[in-house]
Formats: sequence, C-alpha cells, structure tokens
Amino acid sequence: MKLNKPERRTLLVLPGRIDLGEVQPGGPLRLELEPPQEAGAFTLLDDFSQSLQRSGRALLQLGDELILLGADGEVPSQSAARDGAFVHDLAPGQVRDALDDISPLRALLEVASGTAQVQQAALLDDEDKTQVRAELRVLSSPEGEVTLIAVEHMRGYDKAHESLLAALAARGAHMEQGMIGEWLAPGREAYVSKPVVPLGEGRTAHDVAVGIIRAYLGVARRNEAGTIADHDTEFLHDYRVALRKIRSVLSLFKGVFPDEETARFKAAFSDLMAPTGQLRDLDVYLLEKDAYFNLLPESLHDGLAEMFRQFQEERDAAQRKLARRFRSRAYAARMAEIEAEFAGGDLPRGPKADLPAHDYASALIWKRYRKVCKIARGIDAQTPDDEVHELRIGCKKLRYLVEFFAPLFPDAELATVLKPLKKLQDNLGLFNDYSVQQGALRAFVETHQGRTRQDDIETALAVGGLVTVLHDRQKAERARVAKRFGKFDSDEVREAARALFHGSEG
Amino acid sequence: MEVIACYSNKGGVGKTATSVNLAHALAEGGKRVLLCDLDPQGASSFYFRVKPSKKLDEARFFEDVARFTKAIRASDFERLDILPANMSFREFDAFLARVRNKRSRLKKALKAVGNDYDVIVLDCPPNISALSENVFKAADRIIVPVIPTTLSARTFEQLIEFFDENGLRRRKLAPFFSMVEARKSLHLETMKEMRTRYRKLFLDSAVPYSSDIERMGLHRAPVRSYAAKRPAGRAYAALYEEVSGKGAK
Ligand SMILES: Nc1ncnc2c1ncn2[C@@H]1O[C@H](COP(=O)(O)OP(=O)(O)O)[C@@H](O)[C@H]1O
Ligand SMILES: [Mg+2]
Repeated sequence: MKLNKPERRTLLVLPGRIDLGEVQPGGPLRLELEPPQEAGAFTLLDDFSQSLQRSGRALLQLGDELILLGADGEVPSQSAARDGAFVHDLAPGQVRDALDDISPLRALLEVASGTAQVQQAALLDDEDKTQVRAELRVLSSPEGEVTLIAVEHMRGYDKAHESLLAALAARGAHMEQGMIGEWLAPGREAYVSKPVVPLGEGRTAHDVAVGIIRAYLGVARRNEAGTIADHDTEFLHDYRVALRKIRSVLSLFKGVFPDEETARFKAAFSDLMAPTGQLRDLDVYLLEKDAYFNLLPESLHDGLAEMFRQFQEERDAAQRKLARRFRSRAYAARMAEIEAEFAGGDLPRGPKADLPAHDYASALIWKRYRKVCKIARGIDAQTPDDEVHELRIGCKKLRYLVEFFAPLFPDAELATVLKPLKKLQDNLGLFNDYSVQQGALRAFVETHQGRTRQDDIETALAVGGLVTVLHDRQKAERARVAKRFGKFDSDEVREAARALFHGSEG
Repeated sequence: MEVIACYSNKGGVGKTATSVNLAHALAEGGKRVLLCDLDPQGASSFYFRVKPSKKLDEARFFEDVARFTKAIRASDFERLDILPANMSFREFDAFLARVRNKRSRLKKALKAVGNDYDVIVLDCPPNISALSENVFKAADRIIVPVIPTTLSARTFEQLIEFFDENGLRRRKLAPFFSMVEARKSLHLETMKEMRTRYRKLFLDSAVPYSSDIERMGLHRAPVRSYAAKRPAGRAYAALYEEVSGKGAK
C-alpha cells in the first residue's frame, strides 16, 4: 500500500470527500481516475485521554495492517495482530516502538470504525506518460468521513506534483493527520483528568470550592462508563482521585460551607468512595504482578502464581459488583442528586465563604506549608513511621491546595515550590506503598485459603519472601526522606513560598 | 551498483528491446534500476513515453551531477527511472569513461540526490563504428543479442577476436539468441553450432521473433506489462532470471 511508502510521498488529509474531476488539478495534464474499490474495514484507535490526537497523531487499523499517521518522518506500519488492548500487547514493530510515550496503563480504544474505499488517480501528459500519482482513501464511519490522499512525486516531474498539491491545498487538504479523529467521530468531549477551574477577578472562596467540586464531579462521572466496561484500571483510579480531591476541598476549605453542611457533604462523598476501594486495591496488586515475580527467585514463583490466581478471581468479582452498582438506578439517582445540589447557585455559605479567593488561598497554603515544614524538620532516623506517614498526608494536602489555586499564582515561582515537593512526595509515596503492600500481603495469608494445603504453604513462602524484600525497600526509602526534605526546605524554595503565599509580610 | 550494457557491434538486433524489457524485469524483481538511453534517437525513452531531454550543455553535462540527475525521469513503473540522454557519440564515450573511472563517485553523487540504484542498464547507441572499449570496461556484464544467422555469427566472431586481442575478459560477455524463428532450420543450426563453438558463453534463454515484441512501439510499454504470459513475455522473464542469477551480487 502506498500510505506507508515514505519516499517521495506526501500524505494529506481532508474532511469529507473530494472529486478530483471537479478540482481540475492538471492544467494541460489529463486526469485519469480509476473506479473506487472497496478496501475493507478500518478502525481508529486512541486512549481515553486522547493522547494520540492531542499529539497530532492517528493510529489506524486498515485491514490487517496498523499504521500511525502524524508521527515524525516516515509512516510507521506493522501487522495489526495484538493480544490485548494495550500498547505492549501489539506485535513488535515500528508502530509499537513509536507509541512508547503512551501510558502502559491506558487501553487503546476504538474511536471510530467503518469501511475504507481506495481510488487511484494519475495525471498524464500528451504522450500518456504519468507525471504524478495519487491514492485517495476514503474512510467512512457512521458519523463522518475523511479522505487520506497519498501524493506520489515522480522524479523529474516536479511541476505536476506541485500543481496537484496546490489544487488539493486549495480544497482544504493539509498534513495535520491527527485531525482525522475529529472528522470521523465529531463532537467527542476531550477528557481532562485535572481540569483547571477558572479563578478570575472577584471570585470568592465559596466560588472556588463549588467550582472545583463541580469540575471533579464531572471528571468522576466521565470515568463511570470505562469502569463498567473495564477497559483499563485508570478509569476507576481517576474516578477515585476525583472524589478524593472533592473530599480534600471539603476538609481543607474550612469555613466555606457551614460546618454541618461540610460534614454532610463529606459523608456523601465517602459513601461514594467506599464501594470502590476493594477493586482499586486488587487492581494495584495485579499491576505489581510482573514486578513481584522479578523480586523473588523462581523457587517461590508457584506460590506467587497461586496468590495472583486468587487475586484475579477476587478482582473480577469485585469489578462485576462495582459495575452493577454503577449501572444501578439507585446510583444514577444519587449522582444526579449530588450534581443538582452543586449545580445550583444557592449552596449554604459558611463564615469564610465571601473571602476573596486569593487571600483565602494564600492563608490556607501558607499555614499548610508551615505545618509540613514543622513535621519534616522533626524527622530523623529515630522518628517513628507514623510521623513519616503524617508528613506524607501533609504534603498531599499541600499539593492539592497549591494545584487547586494554581491559576492565581505565577507559574515560574509555583514550579520552584512544586518541583521539590513532587520529588519528596514520590519518595514518601514509595515508602507508603511498600508499607501498605506488606500489610496487604500479610492480610492475604491470614484471610485466604487455597485449594490445597500445599497451595497455602507455597503462598506463605512467597509472601514471606516478598515482605522481606519490601521491608528492605521501605527502609531504603525511609532513609531518603530527610535528604529529599532538605531539598524542599532550601532557601530558594522557602523564599518562593513566602513570596507566593505570604506576600504581605515578605 | 552493477552496470549492465546491452551492446552489439551490429544494428537492429534487439539491443533496445532487451534494455527496456530487462530493466523492467529487474525493477519488478525488486532492484532499483536506472535505464540510460544512450541512443540519440531516444528509442528506450520512447517506449517509456519519456520525452527526450533538451539538448544539454555537453561540456558540463557530466561534470555537474546536479544536471545529470535533473535529467532523470521516473518511469510509470516502480523502482525504474530513465535517463533520456540524447547524446552524440563523443559524449557517449565521455559518459562511459566517467562511469568507468568514477563509478564510486557517481554512485555517491546519485545516492546524495536520493537515487541509490542497484543496477544501471545502458542501452547502447547504434552505429558505433569502432568496437567501444569504453563499453567493455565500464560494464560488469555485456548482454549481446545475436540473431542466429551466418552474418551475425561472423560479427560475433569479430567481437570475440577483439576481446581476445585486447586482453579483455570474455566472461563479461553474455550473448543470447535474439529474434529466433524456430521454423527456420538455418536458425536452429546456427544456434547449435555457436553454442558448441563458444561453450558455456551463450545464455540458455533465447528471445523468439515475436509480434508481441514488435508491438512495443504501439503499446509504448515493456512487453511484460501487456503480454507477461505469452512466449515473448516469458522469454524476457527467463532472460532476467538468468542474468540476475548469474551476475547479481
Ligand atoms: N524478438 C523480436 N521479435 C520481433 N521484433 C523484434 C524483436 N526484437 C526487436 N524487434 C524489432 O526489431 C527492431 C529493432 O530492434 P531494436 O531493439 O530497436 O534493435 P537495436 O536497439 O539493436 O537497434 C524494432 O522495430 C523492434 O521492434
Ligand atoms: Mg537501439
């Protein structure tokens, strides 16, 4: 096929169809159009966050071939064979290599599909010599149509080539191949996991809190369908992060709502969160599967395999249960109720509701920042783990606050504070993960029974091995906390934080 | 980069027919091919519908790779380009000298402009009065169409003598029988005699006298594009197999 023959080939895209006969691209040359031929089915793929479209690319399955449009240089292509929905499930090849920036956790989903038609066109001179060729490929989905035009330059016939390109450009053809998703499946809403809530002049603390809650409610709802369909684990993850952010707004934005309302809202969101925890935990264990196998010698692999078999069973059951819940009428009604409550303009106001957003934010962040520093400065090698966990939670709250209010502050200064904060959080996050995993593994042995006694012995051995390794790792992360905090507690960061959040005194 | 010349010290024997069809078959077989039409009449260019290039400034034509490559035209067939050279004999000789002496430079220059050819096929002009030593030296293989008649046999003998006298390697020569008419016993006898006399030199495949080949001028396309399954098309396929099997690197 000519689409992926890079030499002397220009690949243009165009919404809808084009009738070359009408365009008269040839001047003195004669246009020869072959009758269009059916060319089978096509599928356009992208992940839920539209990573490909946003980077100007389009991943197309045409028959049994997979091609990536809009990549730099050549058009990568390979066999479309794959044994799953993720990039790592693709057969090895150029396309898979070119997709190494796509999150390994995100499934490639069908954006549009339909049928393709191919038509060959050529411009010939008075000797019937072909001077330029084009291959038109019309992709039709139920919602739209797009034409891919591969124009082949023939050596020595530059003029014909240029005039055809010019005629096509005049008809709106261009090289932004990533656009085809917009035309084949128009009106899709872009998915943003971290929406930026506008915080313009005159906004109050109450406005901001309501705005953030509304935006994240929207994010949570966008992730329901994918969780039900079980495309990948990121849907549920994003759903939970969105609810967690709402809860942190409720607990961090003190005084914005009356206390009893805050308590009621918090309870409502906790009720939404609670049924999702088990599935997420199991997802996390299963995502660690390969890593766990790599941690242990082969002699312990049987036990691991048995453990993951049981995890997988439980996980599938938990997924079905949650999907049932998300599909239920009761859930839909509850979500509609909550959405309606936050959509209205008359939410009750607490004592700090009317403070200007900026003043309110600065005071909150400054207070949280100082609290984090206070805890961290007290941490040394002897400090109990509980205080490290407290530091982790403090950092998380600080990060949420800074991110919620980010549009109010200058980017560069904010980055000065955020960068070392993220590093510190990575470190604390690993420390926590290792600790949680040890606990979970121990709980697994206590609560699970395999099919045979031998199964139980094998899994207990494997868990013993894992806990040992994880404990070592946790200790190593623990040892890094002070150093990472040192970087966060530098003069530069301190000055930036003071200037940003405590300007009046700084 | 292999250089294959279609040459004969006799006119009208099928050099151009061979060049066109062999170049086409090589390209179909996956090689990137440049067919140099060195005949001022532009016969191979005509078969590919490529208009003869404007008379280029001879003195500088070969000095200037940009000019040289600018004259190259894509044929309608994948991987096959044509150089419609439109040369006088003197220029032709200079061209061959360049190919011979500066082959690596020529190759580099072609590659630099995006034309890395695997094979260059030379359709040699008619009426080279002398035996062209430059052709013999520039080419890796010299395909010689021989019509199996007494006269052609004599001419071929002269070519062999020239090779032997000038210390040229006979093995470069790849003669084959062209325009063979199986009903003529003279043709069959001459072929038998010459195959015995020049043992192992002649290619096994022969191209029959065929109206499908004559019709190239009407179709203005290589035989295999309109008569691949007919005897003439098959004969060129066999010739290609033998040439690429024997000589290809
Ligand atoms: N095998 C063949 N059978 C019939 N006609 C042929 C055959 N080979 C060449 N011809 C015709 O003979 C003429 C001379 O052939 P050409 O290839 O131009 O010879 P050259 O290049 O050696 O002068 C052309 O008209 C051509 O069509
Ligand atoms: Mg000729």
